[in-house]
Amino acid sequence: MIELHGIEKEYRGAAGPIRALRGVDLAVAAGEIFGIIGKSGAGKSTLIRCINMLERPSAGRVLVDGRELTALSGRQLRAARKKIGMIFQHFNLLSCRTVFDNVAFPLELDGKSRREIEAEVAPLLELVGLTDRRGQYPAQLSGGQKQRVAIARALANNPKVLLCDEATSALDPQTTRSILELLKNINRKLRLTIVLITHEMPVIKEICDRVAVIEDGLIIEQGTVTDLFVRPQTATTRDFIRTIVNHDLPPGLAARAFSPLPQEGSSLMLRLSFLGGSAEEPVIARLIRKFDVDVNILFGNIDTIQDTPFGTLVVELAGEQAAVSGALNYLQAHELGIEVIGYVARNARAVG
Amino acid sequence: MSPEMLALLADSFVETIYMVGVSAFIATLLGIPLGIVLVTTGQGHILENTKLNAVLGAVVNATRSTPFIILMVAIIPVTRALAGTSIGTNAAIVPLSIAAIPFLGRIVEAAIREVDHGVIEAAQAMGASPLQIIRKVLIPEALPALVLGLTITVVSLIGYSAMAGAVGGGGLGDLAIRYGYQRFRPDIMLATVVILIATVQLVQSCGDRLARRLNKR
Repeated sequence: MIELHGIEKEYRGAAGPIRALRGVDLAVAAGEIFGIIGKSGAGKSTLIRCINMLERPSAGRVLVDGRELTALSGRQLRAARKKIGMIFQHFNLLSCRTVFDNVAFPLELDGKSRREIEAEVAPLLELVGLTDRRGQYPAQLSGGQKQRVAIARALANNPKVLLCDEATSALDPQTTRSILELLKNINRKLRLTIVLITHEMPVIKEICDRVAVIEDGLIIEQGTVTDLFVRPQTATTRDFIRTIVNHDLPPGLAARAFSPLPQEGSSLMLRLSFLGGSAEEPVIARLIRKFDVDVNILFGNIDTIQDTPFGTLVVELAGEQAAVSGALNYLQAHELGIEVIGYVARNARAVG
Repeated sequence: MSPEMLALLADSFVETIYMVGVSAFIATLLGIPLGIVLVTTGQGHILENTKLNAVLGAVVNATRSTPFIILMVAIIPVTRALAGTSIGTNAAIVPLSIAAIPFLGRIVEAAIREVDHGVIEAAQAMGASPLQIIRKVLIPEALPALVLGLTITVVSLIGYSAMAGAVGGGGLGDLAIRYGYQRFRPDIMLATVVILIATVQLVQSCGDRLARRLNKR
């Protein structure tokens, strides 16, 4: 649905040019919710604005629904933008218009009659649950309600794509959840492709199918959300994951000296990540029954990523060298994420 | 005060209202577009044209920096060409308008600039053309500030119109000079001042009330 090829964006700054985007390639499939996460200043805002050409890329091509936006004239571009909805962090509603008239705004731009507008706005207000607020002004609404109005407005032209620019960053966690639910709902009901940018990992975890991590104007990692959680490749991604999943070793353990090789009387420390089916399988119980090892669980956590259970365990395996490596092989044969932390001398073992 | 004097006051008041009304109308017609152009041709705005912007800015500054009494005398040839005469109420409308257009233009510019850039961006994302953005976003969103700006302009025009008396423009200011000052009639002087104060108060409170009603923030 959306293809970005070699997108670059350069601004003229006070101290020479600033390269906000340095060659971004992305492909977003129809009907998916694609998240772009990055710290502030990473270029995510610029990137999402390149998709509807609010920012014209300095180089590269933007294709939305098969049309190359970078090749369109001003008038053609305006027509193409009507099929790309957008919502913003600060809602950007017209303060002088009522809820109804805000949603009617894009239809007015299209020159629709009052009757057509009435017929189209009413179901949109119904969809976002604001039918009883139609005569109120934005100043009389809460943040969540304002974002609902903005969503209804963005959907008025029956777009194929919805761009969300930090749409929940100004909202409290509870309201964030309800807005995300609404977005997910719309995505399913209308088969709408959604691209969202955020700096909040919970948002990605909650609704995204796939995610890209942007840093310093480059996409440094992308994949399905579960992939990213189970096998993060970069330090930045691990930082983001750490905001919701504890990825650190328990204190006291981190200070131990780990050796990569087994030593006399040492035990093996592992971090196991379970995903989906394997999280429900009693792997550890079978391991203990099958091998002559002591398993000491030092840390555990279970989370869900979009209804898929996702667990992390830090375990210590102690026993005869052969039994420990046998156990390790057994674990590796399963659908698990395994990270060998190292061997630690047993007498220096942490108290779990 | 004699009935003749009262009639004279009433006539002068009507002249003032006429001068101010017509020049405020002309200033609105040209000053609001001027202000909008001053904003939208600025750097990074929807109709960016920095050259036009610089030229307009310079012209506005030149007009604004000329004291009204000087401007009035300096443009007498223009006045004669436009109004057919350089004396009288109609003639006074020309310099009044010429002074009020850039004055209002700057006020409109400031008001339009206050419109949140995010709202403009949202309209652009919805495929609005620059003209639609001006008509449906900038003007409605800035309307309360525009009404207040127009009020300030009218009040200033009432002040300027008194100076028009100096070139035989008529109105309350003219009356105050000729009767109140030159013929030593403090009662006339006082009456004109009281009428001017009351008029300004009325205009200002009407403007304030309207702006408050329009403000939905």
